[in-house]
Amino acid sequence: MHSNARNEPVIYLSVILSALCIFTLDVMTPPGTTEWLFYMLPVALCALQSRPFFVVATTGVSSVLLFIGLLVYARSGIPDTSILNRSYGVISLWAIAFLVRQVIVSRNRVERMAWINDGQMRVSQSMLGELSIAEVGGNVLRELTQYLGAAVGAVYHLDNNMLVRSATYGLRSNEDAPPRIAPGEGIAGQAARDRKVVQLADLPPDHLRIESATGASRAARVTVAPLTADGVVYGVVELGFTGAGACMADERELLERIADNVGVGLRSAVYRVRLLELLEETQQQSEELQAQQEELRVSNEELEEQSRILRESQTRLEAQQAELEQSNLQLEEQTSRLEGQKQDLLAAQRSLRDNAAELERANRYKSEFLANMSHELRTPLNSSLILSKLLADNKNGGLTEEQVRHARTIHAANSDLLNLINEILDLSKIESGHLSIEPESHSLSSILETLRQTFEPVAHQRGLAFHFEIETDAPVRLVTDAQRLQQILKNLLSNAFKFTERGSVSLIVGPASHGKVSFSVRDTGVGIAPHQQEVIFEAFRQADGTTSRKYGGTGLGLSISRELARLLGGAITVESAQGQGSTFTLTVPVNVEDAQAVEQASQASDTASVRPTQAPVVERIAEQAASAPAPSPHITDDRDQPLHHERLILLVEDDMRFAAVLYELAHELGFDCVHASTAADAIRLARELTPSGILLDIELPDLSGLSVLERLKRDSATRHIPVHMVSVSDHVQTALELGAVGYALKPVARDEIEQAIHRLENQLRSRMRRVLVVEDDDSLRANIGLLLGAEDVEIVGVGTAAGALELLSASTFDCMVMDLMLPDASGYTLLEAMASGGKYAFPPVIVYTGRALTRQDEERLRRYSRSIIIKGAKSPERLLDEVSLFLHRVESTLPPDKQRLLRQARQRDQVFEERRLLLVEDDIRNIYALSAVFESLGATLEICRNGREALERIGTEEPVDLVLMDIMMPEMDGLTAIRHIRAMPDRQRLPIIALTAKAMADDRQHCLEAGANDYVAKPVDIDRLVSLCRVWMPK
Amino acid sequence: MTTDAFLDVQADNGRLDVDIELRLLLEGVFLKYQHDFRHYAVASLRRRVTQAMEMFGCATVSQLQDRVLHEPEVFAQMLQYFTVQLSDMFRDPAYFRALREQVLPVLRTYPSIKVWVAGCSSGEEVWSLAIMLAEEGLLDRTLIYATDINPKALRIAEGGIYSGERVAGFSANYLAAGGVRSLSDYYTAAYENVVFDRSLRQHMVFADHSLATDSVFSEVHLVSCRNVLIYFNRALQDRALQLFRDSLVHRGFLGLGTRETLRFSCLADSFHEIAPPLRVYQRG
Repeated sequence: MHSNARNEPVIYLSVILSALCIFTLDVMTPPGTTEWLFYMLPVALCALQSRPFFVVATTGVSSVLLFIGLLVYARSGIPDTSILNRSYGVISLWAIAFLVRQVIVSRNRVERMAWINDGQMRVSQSMLGELSIAEVGGNVLRELTQYLGAAVGAVYHLDNNMLVRSATYGLRSNEDAPPRIAPGEGIAGQAARDRKVVQLADLPPDHLRIESATGASRAARVTVAPLTADGVVYGVVELGFTGAGACMADERELLERIADNVGVGLRSAVYRVRLLELLEETQQQSEELQAQQEELRVSNEELEEQSRILRESQTRLEAQQAELEQSNLQLEEQTSRLEGQKQDLLAAQRSLRDNAAELERANRYKSEFLANMSHELRTPLNSSLILSKLLADNKNGGLTEEQVRHARTIHAANSDLLNLINEILDLSKIESGHLSIEPESHSLSSILETLRQTFEPVAHQRGLAFHFEIETDAPVRLVTDAQRLQQILKNLLSNAFKFTERGSVSLIVGPASHGKVSFSVRDTGVGIAPHQQEVIFEAFRQADGTTSRKYGGTGLGLSISRELARLLGGAITVESAQGQGSTFTLTVPVNVEDAQAVEQASQASDTASVRPTQAPVVERIAEQAASAPAPSPHITDDRDQPLHHERLILLVEDDMRFAAVLYELAHELGFDCVHASTAADAIRLARELTPSGILLDIELPDLSGLSVLERLKRDSATRHIPVHMVSVSDHVQTALELGAVGYALKPVARDEIEQAIHRLENQLRSRMRRVLVVEDDDSLRANIGLLLGAEDVEIVGVGTAAGALELLSASTFDCMVMDLMLPDASGYTLLEAMASGGKYAFPPVIVYTGRALTRQDEERLRRYSRSIIIKGAKSPERLLDEVSLFLHRVESTLPPDKQRLLRQARQRDQVFEERRLLLVEDDIRNIYALSAVFESLGATLEICRNGREALERIGTEEPVDLVLMDIMMPEMDGLTAIRHIRAMPDRQRLPIIALTAKAMADDRQHCLEAGANDYVAKPVDIDRLVSLCRVWMPK
Repeated sequence: MTTDAFLDVQADNGRLDVDIELRLLLEGVFLKYQHDFRHYAVASLRRRVTQAMEMFGCATVSQLQDRVLHEPEVFAQMLQYFTVQLSDMFRDPAYFRALREQVLPVLRTYPSIKVWVAGCSSGEEVWSLAIMLAEEGLLDRTLIYATDINPKALRIAEGGIYSGERVAGFSANYLAAGGVRSLSDYYTAAYENVVFDRSLRQHMVFADHSLATDSVFSEVHLVSCRNVLIYFNRALQDRALQLFRDSLVHRGFLGLGTRETLRFSCLADSFHEIAPPLRVYQRG
């Protein structure tokens, strides 16, 4: 155990030997020599060993030997001094011994301390580092067993109030050292509880066995020491030793000393373990937390998503609600509108019913009146007839021949009157449904015989041939009302004779389909124009107002005939052409009773009773008017002044005062006016002046106004001129059928005339329009012609630019459609040529091209053409659309300020003369309008399509006098452009006027802040813009 | 007076108060910010102002008015409430199909084409039209004006970036509208969004323009103004339609939303409907 323990036997031996040697020497030497002093040597030698007792023993032995040596001398006398010396010697020896012992004791103590410290240090060192409990226990145990020389050992640590084995050394672990020990249980437990080191020696042999691979021995003793930290037990260490311990106190000391160290180490380890556990737990918890967090996040996102969806659906609902409200409003409006319409309809229905009843009543009154009147007329007429007949017969010869002739005339006149009354009565009877037919069986020949007897004398008298033809398959007998049938045929025949000057009249009887028989009356007379063939059947009317004058008659005959034919289940048709004679055909059923049954089944028989032929129309009126252009009187009018043909009215009126009134009125309405008082004059002037409208009277000295109307309408040069009739006589229907735009009955109110003129004006717009088609492809040109062709549109096609220019210099067109690719020049060249001078007319141009255009091309074309159409599937429709747009646009449809401006602009403005304006604008319409305005003022207008182009242009050397800057443009907006311009060094004073669609005060502010001099709101008020430009134009 | 009747009267009075305050608010907004909502449909405005009140924690419209007038940023936010931002690409595919089949063939005959999307909101329709025009080979000569009063919406519209989740719906609409390719040819997916092809953007001009106060800015061939008029009252609707009429070329086209009609407008005679259920009109 101690470092020099090995040398101790040598030291003991040398001490003993030296003591013996000194004794021998002492005995052998004479007294007086102080060799005993050498006894100090063994005593001093004792200092080399470690046992204090040995010093005392050595000193005692030396003292005894010293005195023995004296006794040896005693035989030869012992001087007192010797005794005294030796006594001193013994005293010094003991003093040395004391010193030596002190040395040994203190050295021993130092060594023990060193040993303990060393052990403590080693144990401490073994616990360095972050060790587990088992490692701490193992290390400590290993150090302790080695240091203390123990054979076996175990370390327990306190865990949850139990001692738990943490490490063993040299033990068969489970058998010799229980894994768990309760405090107070066994020695170890007791040591832990008492916090004291327990040392057990002399143990029974079976207490503990120490085994090695080759053998086993028992433990001689066991030491159990508590391990504490800060006075608290943290564990126990138990060591088993094989031999009896030499220095158990040291062990105890060491163990007591290390108890704290190891306890702390153990505690640290326990803490560390717990820390690790806690850390682990914390980590686990943090993971769990993270997982939870993740879940939360996910559910949060879901919530967010849901709320977003909710929000969205809310927005959607919002929109839907707004939509619904809108629909609701619309429905309400519709309902109220429908309600209004319904009320209107009800009112209209009521008034219709009232009117119908009124009409019914009026008709009844009329019929009654006619019946009564005819009766009242007939009574006096009868006596007049009889008396005149008596007079004419001149039975008693008392009258002169002339008187007889007068009487005959009176009789004839009365007969005519009677006939007329009968006819009127017939018609009213038929109309009021009072006339019935009485069918009986008659032979055809008997019916015809009566007619022949009646008309043969007439034919003879008029010098006309009269033929009867009965076709072979004509029925022999008819079941009909013979009287009515004869009445119809008489009427047709008398008409035929009336209107036939020469030639023949024939009656042809033949079968017709559906069990009918037809009677055709054919003449070679004047004929009837197609459009009048329906009119002649209408009661109280004749084909021409002039007819009655020439031929006489009431015009009721045909009406009555037609009604009668209808009663007989048949119809009358007419085939005629002017100058070619007419054929009236009566078709009646062979058996009227059968036919009536059929009639009731189908109501179709009274339709299509008139079939006009397509034969050319021949004049019915003599050509005398044209051949006699004698000057006629007229009021002072505008014929000697320069005339505006587009606003010129020809006034045809023989009443000079009324003509003067009309003239004034026309002037008031802004028309020039020329007056004609005769038909001939009217026709001549219409041809010469092609006025924009004609006001026409019917009563003219030389010809009826209706004839004038007809002639105007037949002449292609005057056909398009709208004619409005003004007359005292009522020929409304005829006039309208001849093509008059309106009819005013004299006396006319002033506003009626105004209306008439307005109607002329309106009609003027729909006059014949001329379209020039410039296209080199023949078939395409023809197709365009077909596409655009209409009744009032004349298409002129041309294949070359030269041809187009020629046409444009010779005549005017309302619109021009052109291709860009022409054989002799490009479309651009053509347009530029057209624009170059006054030689050519410049109608609105529609460019119709198959080529895609670049922006530059488009811009170039836009100067001349308002409409560019790229050929494609839908282009024909658009072409038609654009053409008709131009054809019906007149100057007056432009807004008034523009019109005025266009007129004003024709005078050039000094301020703008030779000035260069830069228009920065993207809107083609504005470009077009502003170009027209400023160029007519004498300024040059340059166009840039966006801010960037404008900057480039302004950056060049060529000066610009003023800039008109749009704000909203592609690429670079106007505000930015203005700022850039103002940033240029020499463009600070360049006037810039901003054009913007924004209307608010702060928009204006923005423009001014950006550097514009002024501001004009869109849509541009051109007057305002021009005056602004005047203000800002540099002087 | 029964309790119910009393409550009804109170509710009526409350609504009356709200309407008075609403008018004051709109007047204030107009005077201060030049945004004119005074002729918007009242029922819809009332709802949206109520929402805005909740959002800004105001108990009455007057409180909201106080904040709106004194805090411009509050107005900027409220603008989002005043304008309903709801749109989809190719919304109502039948409408786009009608444009493609009946309107574009006519537009093809013009050398250059201008389209005005009035009230473009967040721009879905602008991009849809651009795609359709590109497919018909017309985009190169087309300029699309997209206008709105809401600057934030305009910025979104200009960006052409939409949430990826909406793309499925867009694609379905695109195909239903007669799309001949795949919608994905026109966008790039990035993160959770899609970005539409920037080359389409070159043909668009985005601008702040109010149908309530501003006027015509260009001649256009097609105006598409869908689900905007439903938020206007009759007078403002007529004003907007007048603007469209004045902007359109002769025989130009006007497309409206499914619930919008010209029938009761004073301009009904200026247009005729070419695809009756779809509200596509042509200027007469």
